[in-house]
Amino acid sequence: MTQSNSFPQPTAYAATEIPSSLAGWEAMYPSHFFFGGAREEWENRHFWYLDKIHAPYPLPPLDHIFQQAWQISLSQHTTRIFCIPPAQGIAQRIVGCYQYICAVEPPPDEVIGEKAALFQARAHYPVEHYDELWEEWLVRVQALGAELKAIKVPAELPRYVPDNEMFPDGFKGYTAAYELMESFDRAVNCLYKGWQYHFNYLNLAYLYYLTFFGAAKTLFPGVSDAAVSKMVAGADVSMFRPDAEMCRLARLAYEDGPVAAILEREDTAAEKIVSLREIQSGRDWLDEFDKIRDPWLHISTGSGWYYNEGSWLNKLDVPFGYVKGYIERLQKGERIERSLDEIGAARDAVLGEYRSLIRTDEDRATFDNAYSDTRIIYRYAEDHLFWIEHWFHTLWWDKIREIGGALVKAGSLKKVDDIFMFNRFEVPALIEDSATRWALGEGVPSMDWAGTAAKRHGILNAAGKWIPSPALGQTPEEVAEPFTIMLWGVTTDKVGDWLKGSSVDPGDLNEIKGFASSAGVVEGVARVLHTADEIMKLKAGEILVCPSTNPSWGPALGRVGAAVTDIGGLTSHAAIVAREYGLPAVTGTGLATTAIKTGDRVRVDGDTGVVTILERAAV
Amino acid sequence: MTYVVDLKELDRHAIGLVGGKNANLGELLKRGIRVPPGFAVTVNGFLHYLDEAGIRDDLFALLGEVQTEDTACLDTVSAEIRGLFRQSQMPDAIMAQLRPHYERLEDVCGREGIPVAVRSSATAEDLPNASFAGQQDTFLWVRGADEVATYVRRCWASLYSSRAISYRVMNGFPHDKVFMSVGVQKMVNAKAAGVMFTLDPANGDRSQVLLEGTWGLGESVASGEVTPDQFRVDKISKEINRRHISHKHVECIPDPTGGIAKIVPIHDDRCDKSCVTDEELRELARISRLIEDHYGGPQDIEWAIDHDLAFPENVFIVQARPETVWSQKKPEPLLAGKSASELLLQRALQVIKVG
Repeated sequence: MTQSNSFPQPTAYAATEIPSSLAGWEAMYPSHFFFGGAREEWENRHFWYLDKIHAPYPLPPLDHIFQQAWQISLSQHTTRIFCIPPAQGIAQRIVGCYQYICAVEPPPDEVIGEKAALFQARAHYPVEHYDELWEEWLVRVQALGAELKAIKVPAELPRYVPDNEMFPDGFKGYTAAYELMESFDRAVNCLYKGWQYHFNYLNLAYLYYLTFFGAAKTLFPGVSDAAVSKMVAGADVSMFRPDAEMCRLARLAYEDGPVAAILEREDTAAEKIVSLREIQSGRDWLDEFDKIRDPWLHISTGSGWYYNEGSWLNKLDVPFGYVKGYIERLQKGERIERSLDEIGAARDAVLGEYRSLIRTDEDRATFDNAYSDTRIIYRYAEDHLFWIEHWFHTLWWDKIREIGGALVKAGSLKKVDDIFMFNRFEVPALIEDSATRWALGEGVPSMDWAGTAAKRHGILNAAGKWIPSPALGQTPEEVAEPFTIMLWGVTTDKVGDWLKGSSVDPGDLNEIKGFASSAGVVEGVARVLHTADEIMKLKAGEILVCPSTNPSWGPALGRVGAAVTDIGGLTSHAAIVAREYGLPAVTGTGLATTAIKTGDRVRVDGDTGVVTILERAAV
Repeated sequence: MTYVVDLKELDRHAIGLVGGKNANLGELLKRGIRVPPGFAVTVNGFLHYLDEAGIRDDLFALLGEVQTEDTACLDTVSAEIRGLFRQSQMPDAIMAQLRPHYERLEDVCGREGIPVAVRSSATAEDLPNASFAGQQDTFLWVRGADEVATYVRRCWASLYSSRAISYRVMNGFPHDKVFMSVGVQKMVNAKAAGVMFTLDPANGDRSQVLLEGTWGLGESVASGEVTPDQFRVDKISKEINRRHISHKHVECIPDPTGGIAKIVPIHDDRCDKSCVTDEELRELARISRLIEDHYGGPQDIEWAIDHDLAFPENVFIVQARPETVWSQKKPEPLLAGKSASELLLQRALQVIKVG
């Protein structure tokens, strides 16, 4: 790649290219995430690209905490724990509310040598002991979730400390003001620890996957990426469980006429619950429903990374909508459950066919071993997602909203969700200011936190309209970091596409590229949806265009002609489900929801990963 | 003596009687693979003809004189031999078998004067690996038993083309061990046609089928008149991994006035359109795997898509023969004899070039 083809220099770009409508954005994030200063020379020799996987949209300041947490945890598992020899961590920066990341250049040769020895000693144990390690992991994560959930947040800062706290039985020695300060600090600690757990086996799982992937591609140079991921993907993973529970509850209701009749109404979930409570079988059904709230309703309607996505737990219309859809399908005599046995058998048959084409016993033995190792540890990549990004994050959102509620009552914020407009270093200041004001007595003025929150909502909106450069800095010659390759799919082609596309407004594109995640070609009318609760708008046969999917989108995928996502690789939920339904899918396009508008006529080519906009909808 | 036999009655053991091509067609039919129906004129028919026409001795005498390095001499001998074939008649004993077979084909296809393709199928006794690919003639759009008989003789004569003679000499095949059977099959009314390999010839990848095809009959591809569309389909996942649509300015269509095909320009928008649909591609890939499984090795297959029939009845296999390049290579371990844990370390040490 020649110099003239390189991307803008990070510091210069950050200094000159951010639109004035974003003025004030710097105050929203910690300063150690900015380009420039003492690190400028190091930054300018690296290659930074927009992180469309974790931060496809402008980052609300408090949601930035997940990024902060993964930067440390992901990186340390590569550099200090499993010691993947030439790979270093992934560094983050923020430019105008968007996150850029880079794979840090390789360490000196002697460090690579040291790490190689450690890697060999450490890389096999987790595969050999995966079942017990997974059980321990789950216990650890669930305990941490319980700890997060149990953090006491005072409902308000009371006008006077109540009587009962004045006397020995209820005496604490500290007040709600202190509790409020402590609650946030403890929630942050839990969150960071949860993200420490998040990566326990993930780097290794990706590395094993890439190893198997490499072996398969050596044996079968023409095999598609999607076909290889289909060999590895598990059917029985935690992410599919919420959907499976909806099927189960739908069947339960279907077997009892009156319950099904209520659930089939066009009412809201709240109205249906009232009606169900009036009959015994309805109450029984609600008991069953309540039993799965924790953990299986702790699932985001989006990626789990943004506060405004919401979860099934607080958008009950979503799970109730699915139950309704499933009951209707049961009445048509359709089967609604994913047959894990059939999916597993189909995968084994496909694997067996490829395997039978391997020409030497030696290769077949290596292929078999690489495959079984990968299947064992790759489960982690599939299972951790539910427990951290969905279950644990849902607990986090709920806890932070409790704190936000207390701050609204204290008069510091106007709306509960305003708390997300302050980063994790600012929230303690916000709480402390509120606590101080409360302590100082009556008539003490507040800083204008609510005003700042309103201004920041405005900046995020403006940032949503800005298209930042897909990459910054020097294009690298090589990358060793497994996530960069696997999760973000940084390849020569991708960098080339970024170079080509960096000057084009996505609204003017007529072709976008992503992963060829599920085979087939379909043309149809696009429907752009941002969260799962908009799903009712989908008409049969439309092309679903969305940021990403998870099981909360499940039943919708059965109705669409094809699926296109901004985020997600070959093993993403959308890819797996699309392959099961046999509908074409292109995932990880980065900008489908920006480039495509509802009503556009598009062609989705799941064989090549290309989405073509054939005809723009009339404006 | 059996001079003519239905393709359905043939299998691989009939190779000495009807040659490799015809025996193959019988095998495919037995596997339930769609092959255009037809019959074969056997080697016995060929030998009977040589005797009846009284040209056997002259033929081998002339061949004995030939000097392959002398092209002029070769051409003269070849022309003289083919003259012998032209001047003689098809023996009654053969016609007595050929005519009912052709009539049965008319019945099966529900059409009088059913057009057929007449193709040579050489046999080489004790020489099962001899490849005579592309050396003998094919005649298309032939109608009526008498016309069939004429082109059967022309197929026989093609065994003595300059090229065929010199091939045998160069490869040490005695002329009197190589005979000719002829296959007669219902003409596929080809909307599109082409070839496919049950592996990727570029790298030997056996999970892939490489297909080439064009509008009309496949002859324009073989003759290099047209750059064909090219596709690569995964045999197992059925994904279409490569799709290259070329500009096809001409097509080969049967010339109803003669027994051969003619090249005509394409004037409509088919020039830049894919000559096969995705479902046809996937069906071809599926069939290719059946054929390959049946023969236990990679195949080189000719196919055609019929104009008149509906999918999948329109997908025909015209011919299958073993692939010769990759199949003859000794399989080497591709993973360099590494164990899974060695591969893991190699992968961990690896850097990916992206610049």
